[in-house]
Amino acid sequence: MSTGQYNYSYIFKYIIIGDMGVGKSCLLHQFTEKKFMADCPHTIGVEFGTRIIEVAGQKIKLQIWDTAGQERFRAVTRSYYRGAAGALMVYDITRRSTYNHLSSWLTDTRTLTNPSTVIFLIGNKCDLEAQRDVTYEEAKQFADENGLMFVEASAKTGQNVEEAFLETARKIYQSIQDGRLDLNAAESGVQHKPSQPGRNTLNNDQQQNRYNKDNCAC
Amino acid sequence: MLGDQNELNVVQSKFSSNELVVAVHTNALLLEQEGWVDNRRILALVKHEFSFALFVILSVNIPPVSFSDLTIERIIPLDECFLCDTEPIPQDYQNIIFNIYYKTLILPFKVEISTESSNFASEVITAKEVKPVEYKDCIFAWLDKYKDLDKIVMDLNEKLGDFPLTRQKNGQGQGISGNRESFLKYQLTLKEPEFTHQQEFTIFIGTWNVNGQPPTALRKWLSCDEEPPDIYAVGFQELDLRKEAFLWNETTREEEWQKAVMEAVHPNAKYRCVALVRLVGIQLVVLINSKHYQHVKNVAIDTVGTGILGKMGNKGGVSVRFELHNTSLCFVNSHLAAHVEEYERRNQDYHDINLRTNFRRHPLAIRDHDQVYWLGDLNYRITDLTTDQVKYYLSKSNLEPVLLADQLNQQRILCRVLQDYQEGDITFIPTYKYDLNSDIFDTSEKARAPAWTDRILWRGKGIYQSAYRSHMEMRISDHKPVSALFKSQISVIDQAKYRKVHEEVLKRMDKLENEFLPQVTIDSTEVTFELVKFREAQYKDIIIANTGQVLAEFEFIRKPNDTSYCKEWLRITPYIGCIKPGEKCDIRFEVNLEQPLEELYDILVLHLSGGKDMFITVSGKCQRSCFTTSISTLCRAPIPLLNLNPDQLQHAETQQSPVLYSVPRELWLLVDHLYRYGLKTKELFELNALNEDIVRIRDWLDWGSLDPISVPIHAVAEALLLFLSYTKDPIIPYHLHDACIAASSNYQSCKQIIVQKLPDLERNVFLYLCMFLQELLKHSNENGSDVKTLATLFGDILLRDPVRNSRPQANRGKASFLYHFLVNDQSCLLIVPNNK
Ligand SMILES: Nc1nc2c(ncn2[C@@H]2O[C@H](COP(=O)(O)OP(=O)(O)OP(=O)(O)O)[C@@H](O)[C@H]2O)c(=O)[nH]1
Ligand SMILES: [Mg+2]
Repeated sequence: MSTGQYNYSYIFKYIIIGDMGVGKSCLLHQFTEKKFMADCPHTIGVEFGTRIIEVAGQKIKLQIWDTAGQERFRAVTRSYYRGAAGALMVYDITRRSTYNHLSSWLTDTRTLTNPSTVIFLIGNKCDLEAQRDVTYEEAKQFADENGLMFVEASAKTGQNVEEAFLETARKIYQSIQDGRLDLNAAESGVQHKPSQPGRNTLNNDQQQNRYNKDNCAC
Repeated sequence: MLGDQNELNVVQSKFSSNELVVAVHTNALLLEQEGWVDNRRILALVKHEFSFALFVILSVNIPPVSFSDLTIERIIPLDECFLCDTEPIPQDYQNIIFNIYYKTLILPFKVEISTESSNFASEVITAKEVKPVEYKDCIFAWLDKYKDLDKIVMDLNEKLGDFPLTRQKNGQGQGISGNRESFLKYQLTLKEPEFTHQQEFTIFIGTWNVNGQPPTALRKWLSCDEEPPDIYAVGFQELDLRKEAFLWNETTREEEWQKAVMEAVHPNAKYRCVALVRLVGIQLVVLINSKHYQHVKNVAIDTVGTGILGKMGNKGGVSVRFELHNTSLCFVNSHLAAHVEEYERRNQDYHDINLRTNFRRHPLAIRDHDQVYWLGDLNYRITDLTTDQVKYYLSKSNLEPVLLADQLNQQRILCRVLQDYQEGDITFIPTYKYDLNSDIFDTSEKARAPAWTDRILWRGKGIYQSAYRSHMEMRISDHKPVSALFKSQISVIDQAKYRKVHEEVLKRMDKLENEFLPQVTIDSTEVTFELVKFREAQYKDIIIANTGQVLAEFEFIRKPNDTSYCKEWLRITPYIGCIKPGEKCDIRFEVNLEQPLEELYDILVLHLSGGKDMFITVSGKCQRSCFTTSISTLCRAPIPLLNLNPDQLQHAETQQSPVLYSVPRELWLLVDHLYRYGLKTKELFELNALNEDIVRIRDWLDWGSLDPISVPIHAVAEALLLFLSYTKDPIIPYHLHDACIAASSNYQSCKQIIVQKLPDLERNVFLYLCMFLQELLKHSNENGSDVKTLATLFGDILLRDPVRNSRPQANRGKASFLYHFLVNDQSCLLIVPNNK
């Protein structure tokens, strides 16, 4: 067996959040497959995608969780924030309501992740300039006030999509280098080298098994 | 020693500099591992300041080459809960077992006897000896960081030092590498024929209804064959007919019969017990020739009572499951409902046993096993022929026409029971009913028709039956024992070949790194039930299709703040499973409403190991029923529940509205019916009814029909028990239970609780019932009721536990509490209703 079965040195966990229909799934798809999905169904659950990228010569595996945006699932999706190293918070530049809800998404992120989690704000659908409902400037100001990174992007044309995902990774990597992100801390969202999946461990039955055997009159 | 030093260095590189690896042991074999997974482990003793912990580590290479080979699987702090010892292995002079105990956890490792192992063991023992002044939690704080770092390893997600026995997942993203494991498992299943071969095992199955008699010598039955079988599965029914067994599930007969079996097994082999399981009088023991014992894995047992309310476990089934080499086996011993005409209840019992048997950690139903052997007193009779006709044919040795009249054969042809099982040809005369100590069919007044009540059936591949017979010379019971001998193909793993295949697959997987994520689609994420009614189970199916390229392992997982993966009104089968690429799996959602809910709503999380999670929304409107409504509301409702308009209902639910009835009308109707027609009925509260009759009674009460109801009296009796068991709150409030049990030895104190502590309406219900039961007892010479049984049954219901349990385990305190009220006159306590 070869030892080099893993060709990357870190795993970063990302979550993508934001109102329904803002283009979260399309952004993930564009990033992992480099394709645009014109009619993408609502996400009923949490989709999962992965891609290996390179930052400063290091291979990093991104594990990306794309959450359902529908309000009725909000209580459940909150449990996926834990342990995220990066959070991509998305709104739709053509729908102001999705922008107005950002503060509530931000509150969730801040309370449910740890302080070193990198939060990246994405104004999606920037290809639809004619229908723009939120200006770049006001969003930029919101980002600055809250210490978020920010770009406008389009999952359709692919504009700025790579940048958003990679910039987030760079920022996380930097935190590791600076020692601001404690790798050993629980919930850092970063793993130093992947580990093997848990094999079968001693469980209930095996004990029950012993119990039965021992209890037998023979 | 240099080699060891090298390994130590590699392992050390997995840890930080303040965590010193004191000793390592490579290549310890974790015993009792499931299936054919790699069970090699590295053990490392690690020191941090003043405390030690033992790390159980998996490695891709043995010995490990680099720290990236290593994955921490378990961490066991060497605190006061830690213990270890060694134990020799019989006839093995090269290896020894090194046991690690932590609270309820036992980890047995097989290690080679060498300087490495003895050094390691002594290091661990010394480390355990070096006790810090006291074990404070904080001295193990350094272990905390491992909890999340390796998310993939479930055990580490649990609170350290408190390893729970069940794996609890919640809605957070789990590790991703699960798909690697799934892929490996799948590939290995595909290649199974390459590393297994079939080996024939003989299995002796015996079943005997012993009619409560004490044991006798069993050799003529169990050792009737020349060659010793590899496996014995011996089932008894009616092991003990005494009240104690019935009420408390206690008996000395278990041991006596077990001893009789052990004395009667074939003298040419040595046997060990795999498992013994008993429910009241239904007992099953599985033995295996000791030479095969080491290949038995994952033994589990379960019992299902099908008696009334699933409580009175005089009928039902007990099961033992295990894996022998690579084949899963299940043995079921069942005693189904009695009485000639009750074949539908027998069918129902069979389905109940199938549905409710659940081997906990093995998410397997009976039918999921490679081989199932079903034995027992199935109780099917012979109808369509008179006793004389039967006896005539038997006297001519003409079994054919009698077998055609056998209910089991008939019901199986109709696919109503045991449909996918096989049974060998019956060449022996009926095994029931005989005069005791004779070979003569029942000569008593009833002169019951003979019947093949005792049967053995099987399902699965590679099973050949070589004998099926009864044993006439066993005479102590009114049944004759039956036995069957099978030659069964068991699939055996060839370790060397297995290792080779395993390695090949791993190599292939390395190339496919990352490419495979499990993918499934489900046909609907909304499960909506039609109007949900009490006791009328409804189900909806969804289909999960594996559209990916790897095995999809799915499981419904718990959301962080929930206690289970679904609400108590829902059952999901299977809730966990595995789907091969291109295949589908039906998931059944079954609602069974037992609470007073207006509507049902929940979002379920269906998790794919190593992949996405899907949310499934379950909803439905409920129909009210008097069975789950509070006593207070029922006494305040002017008309039957389903005729109330919302305002009237709301009004009845407030405490301020006037009490219109001193006991609920519905309760009165049930009791009145029993009073009129049931006082002379035998086994009134002991037989369970057909569910459709219960449903008719429910509608009769809830819609307030004026017509008298015609259902079997036993159904009304069960309905009364259900009514009392499901009222929104127990008749005696939970907070008084301890006081009642404490007072149970003294009538005056019991009375005081009822008079002073019980709310008025509940007191009325309580006393009203006691008066009815006293009335029933007055007729005990006709209906056979006895005060002990009634006190136990109703004590358990009137003082019901907050969590419903279906095990036949009554509480003596509750029984004796109620007992006083069944033997003393308390008409003086009754408060005369002011308006009725
Ligand atoms: N023009 C344009 N359309 C987009 C873009 N991104 C997404 N869309 C469209 O917007 C719709 C919603 O996109 P999704 O990716 O499904 O949105 P979502 O955020 O995942 O929604 P939920 O899963 O319900 O939370 C789809 O019809 C997409 O085709 C974009 O950049 N430009
Ligand atoms: Mg989506």
